[in-house]
Amino acid sequence: MAIINYNLNLTLCGGTPPAPSPANAQANVNPPIELHICMGLNACKGHDRTGANNCAGTGLCATAEQHNCQTLNNCHSQGGCGLYGDAKQQEAPGANDCAWQGSCAVPVQAERFSTFGANKGKSVWKLARKLFEERMIKANRNFGPAPFECGPPQAWLVSVLGSYDSCGNSGNKSCSFGYNNPADNAKELCEGKEE
Amino acid sequence: MLQNFFAAESEVTPENIGEAIQQAIEIEIATIPVYLYTYYSIIRSPDQDAISGSLTQELVTVGKTPAEASAIALDLSAQIMVFANKAGALIMSVAIEEMLHMALSSNLKQALAGLPELVGKSPSVWPAYLPGHIPPFPIDRAGLSLNQLMTFLKIESPKPLPVRKQLEAPIPYKTIGLFYQMIIKCIEDYDLPYDLDSPQLLPNKGYYVQSNIDTIYYDRDHKPRYTNADDSGDLLYVKDRESAIHAINCIVEQGEGNPDAPGLNPDGSVDCGAIVPPDYDDPAREELSHFEKFAQVYCEYQTLTNRFNNLGIGVIDINEYFVVNVPTNPSTSKYPADIAAVSTLLNAVYTYIFVMVENCYKQSGSTQYEIFMFGIHKSMIFILNSLCGDIMQLSYLDPEDDTVYAAAPTFEDYPFGLVSSPKSQLVDLYYAAYPDGNYLEQRILDLPDVPLQYAGKF
Repeated sequence: MAIINYNLNLTLCGGTPPAPSPANAQANVNPPIELHICMGLNACKGHDRTGANNCAGTGLCATAEQHNCQTLNNCHSQGGCGLYGDAKQQEAPGANDCAWQGSCAVPVQAERFSTFGANKGKSVWKLARKLFEERMIKANRNFGPAPFECGPPQAWLVSVLGSYDSCGNSGNKSCSFGYNNPADNAKELCEGKEE
Repeated sequence: MLQNFFAAESEVTPENIGEAIQQAIEIEIATIPVYLYTYYSIIRSPDQDAISGSLTQELVTVGKTPAEASAIALDLSAQIMVFANKAGALIMSVAIEEMLHMALSSNLKQALAGLPELVGKSPSVWPAYLPGHIPPFPIDRAGLSLNQLMTFLKIESPKPLPVRKQLEAPIPYKTIGLFYQMIIKCIEDYDLPYDLDSPQLLPNKGYYVQSNIDTIYYDRDHKPRYTNADDSGDLLYVKDRESAIHAINCIVEQGEGNPDAPGLNPDGSVDCGAIVPPDYDDPAREELSHFEKFAQVYCEYQTLTNRFNNLGIGVIDINEYFVVNVPTNPSTSKYPADIAAVSTLLNAVYTYIFVMVENCYKQSGSTQYEIFMFGIHKSMIFILNSLCGDIMQLSYLDPEDDTVYAAAPTFEDYPFGLVSSPKSQLVDLYYAAYPDGNYLEQRILDLPDVPLQYAGKF
C-alpha cells in the first residue's frame, strides 16, 4: 500500500520539503527563457520553442509546457483559456495567477473560442495577442507580426507537434457537416466576429 | 444509500428542516449518476461519412437514384451530427446545474442545520428511486433512448405525473418543486437562526460556471449554440430568509421551470408543441428549464426517427448511429477483472469528489479554494472525464444475455476505509488499474489529501 501523509491540515502546503541541492552543485548556466503559451506571444528574441525567432511577437510556438486541459498548467502565466473556467479566467489567456489556474490547453489553436465572459464566442488567441501587444506597448517594446495572423491552426499544430488536443467533448470546431465552409468560419473568427 | 426520511404528508418544521434539506441534497445527488451515465453513452461526434455512406447504399437499394440518395443521406446525416451533439450538450448542461443545486442545497443546510452529508449518498441499488417521491418510479442508468428521456422528464416534471385511471386508489403525487415549497414554507413561517460562521461555497470564486465547451453544440452550419444562459443562476451565500428562498427558487426554476410551466400531457405523452415563456428559467429567456430541455431532445429524437422510418429502409432507432451499446444498470462486481480495476478507480475518483466537496464545508479561504480548484475541478473535468473515456474503450461479453457491451462508468460510491487516507487508497487503486502508470499518474498524485468528514460512512 502506498503511504501518503494523512494531512489533517487539509492544505496542499506541508509534507516533506524537497531535499536541498548540494552546496557544490553546478549552477544552471543556461539563462531561463520567459515561459509563454503560444505562437506570437514571446516577449524576447529567441524565446520560442525553437529559439529561432528574431523579435518579440514572432515566435513559432509556446515555451510553457504543452498540456490539454484546465488546471494542468505548471505555474503563473502558463495556462491557456477558453473552453472552461469563469469569466476572469477566460479573459486572461496566458495571464493566470498561479499553477493549475489556467482554464484550457496550451498552445492555443486558432479555432478556439471563449465559452464564457466578455470574450464569449470570440477568438482566444486574438485576445491573448491583444493582451501581449498591450504589455509590449506599455513596456516600450517593439514587436513583430505572428507567423499566423490569428494564431496556429489546429492542423498546423498537429503537423508540428505530432499530436495536439484540447479537452472537451463538443466535437471538432474546424469540421463541416456538408453545409458550411470551415475556412469561412475560421476567417470570421480571425476577423474578430463572434461565433 | 438513500434514506427513508419522514412520511410524505409530513410538514417541514424547525425540528426536521435539517433532514428535509438533507433529503433535497440526496434528491439532487441521485440525478447526477443517471444523467452522466446517459451522457457518456452518446458519441457526440459520430462518423458522418459512415452514416451518410450506409444510408446512400440503402436508399439506392430501395429505388432512389444515386444523386437523390446522396442528397437525402447528406441531409439526414447532418441532422444526426447536430442532434447527437445537441443531446449531449443539453444533458451535460442539466448535469452541471444539478451539481449547482447540490451545492445550493448544501449551502442551505450549512446555514440552517449544519454540515451537509454527500459521501455515500449516491444510489446503491438500481433501478433507483428518488427519495420521497410519490409515486415512486424506477430510474435506470441506461444509454440514450426515448425511454430514458421519459425517465428524465418524470424526474424534472413540473406537474404531477398522470395517474392511471384503473388505479382504485390514486396515489397523491408531489413534485420536487412542491417538496422544496415545503421547505420554503418552513423558512417563511419560522424565524430560523442562520449560521453565518461556517463556510459555504460562494459565488464569484470560479467554483461554478454554467457554460463550458461540453454544454455547447454546433448547428447545421457548424455555429456554436449555448445551452446554458449567462444569467441562469449561480452559487449563493445563504445568510438569511431572503437568500435561502432565493437559492431554492433557483433550484426549482432551473429544474422544472416557472410554476405555471406545462408538464407532460394528461395521457403521459410529451407535449412537443411550441415553447412558451414559462418553459424558460432565466430572466432573459435564453435558457430552457431541465424539463423543457429534455422535452426538446425527446421530440427531436422522435421526429428524426420518424424521418428515417419513412424512408422505406426498415425500422430504425436513430440511437444506433451515435449511442454506444452500454449495459443497463451495470455493477463493477460483474465486470471482468481488468475492467473492474478501472471501474473501481473511476468510482473512487467519483466518490473522492464528494469527499472533497464535504471538506469545502469545513474549510474557507485559500484552503477551500485549493481543494475546490485543484481537487474538484481537476477531478471532474480531467481525471473523471478521462477515465470515463478510457473505460468505454473496453468491452466485455455479458454471459447473462450473451451480448457484448461497451464497459461504462458505474458511478458507484467507493467505500473508503478508515485505516488510511482516502487519497492514499485512491493512489493504490490507480496503480492496481495501471501498474505501469499512464498520463493520469501525476494528476492523481497532485490531488489534495483530505479526510472523510464522517467516520463509518460506509
